[in-house]
Parts: sequence; structure tokens; C-alpha cells
Amino acid sequence: MAGLVFAGLLLAATGVQAHHSFAMFDHDHQIKISGTVTHFQWTNPHVYIDMDSTDEQGQFKHYTIECANPGILDRIGWKFNMIKVGDKITTIIAPLRTGEAGGLLKQVTLADGRKFGNGAPAGKANIE
Amino acid sequence: MIASMRTVAASVAAVITSLCAGAAQAQAAAPGHQALTGAWDRYGTVNLDPRVTSAPPVSAPPLKPVYEAEWEAQQKAAKEADARGQPQFGGYAQCLPDGMPAMMMAMFPMEVLQTPGQITIIEEAYNQVRRIYLNEKQLPIEDAEPGFWGHSVGHWEGDTLVVNTVGIKEEVRFRGVPHSANMQIDERLRMLSKDIFEDQVTVTDPEYLTQPWKFTWKYVRKPGYKILEYVCEANREYQDPQTGGIRMRIGAPGPASSAPAPAAPKP
Repeated sequence: MAGLVFAGLLLAATGVQAHHSFAMFDHDHQIKISGTVTHFQWTNPHVYIDMDSTDEQGQFKHYTIECANPGILDRIGWKFNMIKVGDKITTIIAPLRTGEAGGLLKQVTLADGRKFGNGAPAGKANIE
Repeated sequence: MIASMRTVAASVAAVITSLCAGAAQAQAAAPGHQALTGAWDRYGTVNLDPRVTSAPPVSAPPLKPVYEAEWEAQQKAAKEADARGQPQFGGYAQCLPDGMPAMMMAMFPMEVLQTPGQITIIEEAYNQVRRIYLNEKQLPIEDAEPGFWGHSVGHWEGDTLVVNTVGIKEEVRFRGVPHSANMQIDERLRMLSKDIFEDQVTVTDPEYLTQPWKFTWKYVRKPGYKILEYVCEANREYQDPQTGGIRMRIGAPGPASSAPAPAAPKP
């Protein structure tokens, strides 16, 4: 625990230098979306997941979800081919502040139950 | 007698062999040795060695008052844009690389290659490459074609690689700090331990700075790491024509998307 606190302090001291600000996303009001992958874009500077989702009220939405880049994701265990069109996945995202159907990935749960984060700069999920 | 002479001769030969091997080793370990070759990570957040402190944060640039006021205003505007949820549209969103000296912050892993007469540094982010030509005279600044990484020459002073860089485009800014075409970047790279090296950076630009701007970066070896390719392509972030801030396009390009196309900007 002390180690974690120490690591946290170090991160604060050295600053996590991300590509850009994540201020267009609302990190305090994260949402959970389940649905079907329609597109998976493994590119720099960002990886994108596109998914169709119908919520409990029957409302259909198409979401675009921004992820970190292939390098960051590779280093935390992702693979370029681990998400495919048609996969049923669940994501936790920090939604766009504009209210559009998009956001920054915090966590993805794959069809086989494996969970992945989105790297240190993007931050962690604060809901389950 | 003869036997003992043979023994002596054999011993002498052994000593000579070992001296030669030692000389070869000394040559390999001499200035210009291969210690920098390999993959590196920015030091400070991972693999901390208790004997080596991490580098302090980069200090504020000692800009002349007029430029400092502009820079502070620009920092404030960026913070306010963030607070509005409309972060400013910057170089990365335009797929532009860092250039020098920002590249050396090693946002992502970095690779150093030492070959005769040249040291090459490759930063994974944005496939950035800089070449340091050893034991060559620096170009007059007016002859150095302005670029992102400039023209670098270096030489070894003992165990320290001393590098001078000129020819950085005025648009290429580290932390938004303005500079003139005459800016010079001096670096001193040296190993602090077997697996950690530092780069002491000094930015000199009397037109903009009241004194040289100094900061240090440190790097830790990343054994066996293979640098990934990095092509900035199909970024869905774009500049909002109304606010100037970053927006994100919803929907994948092509028929896979079931979302409507983004609205055309209002005139």
C-alpha cells in the first residue's frame, strides 16, 4: 500500500505526459455501455472502438470510444486482434461533455470475460 | 632450465594476450562505448533504482518579461479551455511530432544506436529520428535548414557525450515556449549506472531567454524491448470550427458506421 502511495506521489511529481488533454471527457460521470462492436481501429495516435448499443429503455445509440494508442495498449497486454466486429463487449467510458455518443475508454470487458484498462494517462474506471 | 624458460615464455605470452584483451576491452569501454545502445524508458515512474533519484520536473522557462507574459497568458488560456471541456487543438492532434528538445522527454520508449561516426536516437512516438554526427563541425546556424530535430553534432568528453543542436523551426515549440531561429540546444549525456543515463539539456536563446534554460531527463534501460512503428493516421479528433477546440468524430469511416455523418460546420 505504501508502495502504491509512493508510486502515486512519483506520478504526481514527474507528471504523466500524455499526448493531449482529456478535458473533453467527463471523468466524474462515467457510464457503462454494452453492445456489439461494429468497427475496431488499431491506429496511432488513438485506437477506436465503434459499437452499437441498445439500452434498457430500448434506446439505440452508436458509440465511438477513444482508447490510448497501440504502444500503450500493447504494454498493458492488449493485442491488435483481440476485439473483432460482431464481438459483444461492455465498456466503461468517460462520456463526451458535448453529450454526443462517445467517450474515453476506462475499461473494456471482452466477450470471454477478460477485462482491460486503457493505460495510466487515461485513468481508471470509477464505477463497476 | 629450458622447461622453465618455456614456462616464462608461456606466462609472458599469457600476459601479453591478457593485456591485448584488456586493451580491446578498454577500447570498447572507452568514450564512444556501446553503453547507450538499446531501448530506454523515461526514468522516474518505473524501475526506480534507490541509488539514482528521478529527474526533477522541467523548470519554467526564463523568458524575457514580454514573452513571459505572452506565455503565461497562453498557459492560462489552455487551462481555461480545458475547464470548458474544449481543450486546445495542438500539434499532436494534427499528427505533428514533438521535434527538439521535446522528443527527448521520451513520452514513449526510445532507442539509441551507436554506429561509427553517428549516434541515432529513435523515439517511438511519431517515429521520430534524430542523428548526431560525431566529431564534425557544427554548421553556421544560417546554413542549418530549419526542421523538427535540427542539425546535431557531438563528441565524447571522457564518459560524457556532448551534443550541440541548431536549426529548429520556430513553430516547433517545447511546452509552448517561443524561440528564435538562433536557438541552440546543448546536451550532456552520461551513464549514471549500468542501466540509467541522463541528458542534461541547456537551451540558449538570448533573443527570448534572460538566461539559459536548463533541465534534465533520465532514462532506464528497457531490456529486449522492440520499438513499435508509429504512423499517425485516421485521427478522429478534429478542430471545432466554432470554438477552435478539439472535437471527436462519432462513427467509423466507411459503411461499418451506423451513425449519421458529422454535421457540416455552420457558416
